[in-house]
Amino acid sequence: MILTGVLLAVVGLGLVGWFAARGRARLLYTGRGSMHSMPSYHGWHMALWIIVPALLAWMAWSFMMPGLVDGAVLASPAAAQFPPDAMSRAAILSEARTVASNPNAAVFNPLSATLAEPMRAAQQRFGLIGGLIVLIVALAGGGYGLTRVRAGFPARTQVERAVLGVLLLASLMAILTTFGIVASLLFEAGLFFKDVSPIAFLTGTHWAPGNAGGENISDNFGAVPLFWGTIYIGAIIAMLVAIPLGLMSAIYLTQYASSKVRKLLKPMLEILAGIPTVVYGYFAALSVAPMMRDFAASIGMANPSTESALAAGMVMGVMIIPFVSSMADDSLAAVPRAMSDGSLALGATRSETIKRVLLPAALPGIVAGVMLAISRAIGETMIVVMAAGAAARLSLNPFDSMTTVTYQIVQLLTGDQEFNSPKTLSAFALGLVLFIVTLILNIIALRVVKRFREAYE
Amino acid sequence: MTETKITARNVDVFYGQKQAIDNVSIDIDDGMVTAFIGPSGCGKSTFLRSLNRMNDTIADARVTGEIRLDGEDVYAASMDPVALRARVGMVFQKPNPFPKSIFENIAYGPRIHGLVQNKTDLDEVVEKSLVKAGLWEEVKDRLHDAGTALSGGQQQRLCIARAIAVSPEVILMDEPCSALDPIATARIEELIDELKDNFAIVIVTHSMQQAARVSQRTAFFHLGNLVEYGETSQVFTAPRNEKTKDYITGRYG
Amino acid sequence: MSNAVWQTPEAVRRLAKRHAAERRFRLLGLSAIVLSLAFLALLLVIMLENGLGGLDWQFLTGSDSTNADLAGVWGAAKGSLLTMLVTLVLSFPMGVLSAVYLEEFAPRARWIEWIEVSINNLAAVPSIIFGLLGLAVFINTLGMPRSSPLVGGLTLALMTMPVIVISGRNAIKAVPPSIRDAALAVGASKVQTVFHHVVPLALPGILTGTIIGMARALGETAPLLMIGMRAFVVTPPGGITDPSSVLPMQIFLWSDEIDKAFVQNTSAAIIVLLVFLLAMNGLAIYLRNKFEVRW
Repeated sequence: MILTGVLLAVVGLGLVGWFAARGRARLLYTGRGSMHSMPSYHGWHMALWIIVPALLAWMAWSFMMPGLVDGAVLASPAAAQFPPDAMSRAAILSEARTVASNPNAAVFNPLSATLAEPMRAAQQRFGLIGGLIVLIVALAGGGYGLTRVRAGFPARTQVERAVLGVLLLASLMAILTTFGIVASLLFEAGLFFKDVSPIAFLTGTHWAPGNAGGENISDNFGAVPLFWGTIYIGAIIAMLVAIPLGLMSAIYLTQYASSKVRKLLKPMLEILAGIPTVVYGYFAALSVAPMMRDFAASIGMANPSTESALAAGMVMGVMIIPFVSSMADDSLAAVPRAMSDGSLALGATRSETIKRVLLPAALPGIVAGVMLAISRAIGETMIVVMAAGAAARLSLNPFDSMTTVTYQIVQLLTGDQEFNSPKTLSAFALGLVLFIVTLILNIIALRVVKRFREAYE
Repeated sequence: MTETKITARNVDVFYGQKQAIDNVSIDIDDGMVTAFIGPSGCGKSTFLRSLNRMNDTIADARVTGEIRLDGEDVYAASMDPVALRARVGMVFQKPNPFPKSIFENIAYGPRIHGLVQNKTDLDEVVEKSLVKAGLWEEVKDRLHDAGTALSGGQQQRLCIARAIAVSPEVILMDEPCSALDPIATARIEELIDELKDNFAIVIVTHSMQQAARVSQRTAFFHLGNLVEYGETSQVFTAPRNEKTKDYITGRYG
Repeated sequence: MSNAVWQTPEAVRRLAKRHAAERRFRLLGLSAIVLSLAFLALLLVIMLENGLGGLDWQFLTGSDSTNADLAGVWGAAKGSLLTMLVTLVLSFPMGVLSAVYLEEFAPRARWIEWIEVSINNLAAVPSIIFGLLGLAVFINTLGMPRSSPLVGGLTLALMTMPVIVISGRNAIKAVPPSIRDAALAVGASKVQTVFHHVVPLALPGILTGTIIGMARALGETAPLLMIGMRAFVVTPPGGITDPSSVLPMQIFLWSDEIDKAFVQNTSAAIIVLLVFLLAMNGLAIYLRNKFEVRW
């Protein structure tokens, strides 16, 4: 709380510094060419010297403070009867933290209520210390900045250098995120593979994380049925819907439709891509799945389930249509007009030209598009969570309920969970597999697309 | 003994609002090469593309007037552009072989038109076309290599062979040598000279020397109008029109 | 030879067959597009049919409840609003600055390529993976409050940033070099050129990309499921650290209710969500048409 106030104060100081430095710089102005930089750059230079070091100090302190507070609380007499194991300690401390900021919060462990008071006191004390440090840093930075306001001082160059630094930092976020994903997946999956053999995980056919435990733990983490369900729903059923519909739509739009019709239909098709997956999931569960079940019953299947691979896959396919269509559109457009002209001039009809010249020429691009579409389909979560089901089975019957990697990740990480149990950790192992597979698909597809584009340039 | 292959009467071509060809009438004879010359943008290519209805593929192009092939109205409702284009072949400015093998490039036309019944016939057509296009000796050992792997001049001869394979009556050539080097150009010009006995050939060219070398008739287009049309020797040595004379003597162009 | 070849009965039959195939193919294309759009129409009609009746004042201003009649979307909508706010505040500056750097200042170096590859891949990583990242890093490592718009916004910001960077780069690329030359020629520094001239000109394009990215984030459910934003929230969240839910999550939670009365709520919430998305996309299209300059 105090720290937030201090932050505002620092920003205020920065503002004051900006005006002060600019004012001083203006006084220095004696005529054309007398100064290196415009007064406002001196202002910015000053403001940066106030805010940046103070911000760094603030961040460092915010990072350290919880530890200092917890230490102080644990040292307080109220914590004498604290349970020794780390897990429940952390739980109680975090509960005390909640109570300290919100006295009305519900309490599960009575101990945390008694700790709330020392907690609040410690937070106050360390908050004050931190605030003081931050303010001192800000003032020191400002003092230094003020001495720099001189006629010859290259304030603009300095400020621009800082701007470039900020730009660079922003760009590094992407790498940091990628690194964060890889590191967290590898780390958690690593913990999982300490208990479960990776080979059993990748080749086993029995998936029952619920009754895992004891000696034969690996036997319950065979992920093959999950992989199969994912491939069957995302790469087979969904693609059987999306590829013909998407490709034919693209062909119609690019080769047959007049530009007026195209301008009308294309955005409408793209609406399909903008509908949230949860809506598709609900639609699949509410309308498509019962339809499939009734259909299965009508063709004589006994006890068809409400959740079916077919319903989930079909709806997923519809979702992917605009994606396939726009990739195919791009690929067809990349084939030079001379190709179709050459074919038409020989007396080929439009469709002969499309089937025999355009599509073969655009094939690499289309295949890459399908790979990207598959990568998107197998990572799709909500539709399968809502319509595919939980049963891990290796089945070829599309009316069966089937489960997927993403479904299991959701299943394993929601609801009551204890972190660091093999059950929850297996979700990260599944996530790692999903990440690697989609990454490979994407990299190959992007490379194919790039080479394809270059071929016609 | 020469007979008229194509007659055009009062032909106008529009692209949207813009008129590209204005009231052109011309007779094109069989068994010889007719050259269309003129400064760029004069409409010579546009007129060429209206002879086999390739202008149909451009969304807002419109052709009025009358074009007849052997007396049949090319733009009549009963005329099938597919059959028309099989009878009036075309070779483009830039060689545009399909991304398929040399063999498949040639076989494409005969196959879609059902001109051959079996593999032996097809092989024969492919060989004959390549021989006529003067490419056979160079590619006979690599018929199944990609057509795009050939040199520019070879690619253009492949495209000519591709057109010949459908046994058209007329071959339209739209600046067929503009993307080629002088040696490849000379080779194509020779080929055109050989082909003229079997086909009516219409060639658009921006090179007057080329027109003088390969053609028997020359038509000079300017700003969408047909300014002068006659025997090539006459057009180049004794032009009747001032504009033609200015163009030929290089005063503009 | 002449056209006699083409007028034999056999040739005529063959031509007719080819033209029939042509018509069939064309019809196939048209039906593909009609079928896709019919599916869209069916989805919308079913949602409207089920949900329109449930859209009343009580529904729009209420929060979640176990009683279908009392339940409303405001709590979730406010959660969405707070989450989007966090997402926007983080991803927009980050994305724009990153795009500016990569397009205008970045040296041609190996590590710059890594950044580009990272961005392209992040744009295609399944959203649920971002949820795993959020769970592992923000909640388990940094100890941020579970189920809060803060963590949800952070997670979605990481997901949205690549979208903004990519569209931002395209918008910046579209500004012609002559503008840069003009500014540099009157003595502006490179930084001044970029921030005074290039970025303002690219802004409509950047904003369009940002809105599209935000619309996608608004409809996202899976990553938020990972960080526990499925709290049963009876009172709207007061701040970005309170437990909360978001609109798509509310849809998901209601869709799971056994009570049939929630079907209406779910569909009505879907209508609300789609209206928001429609408005955002409409704004993006408007911006693009109004401000897009063709060079």
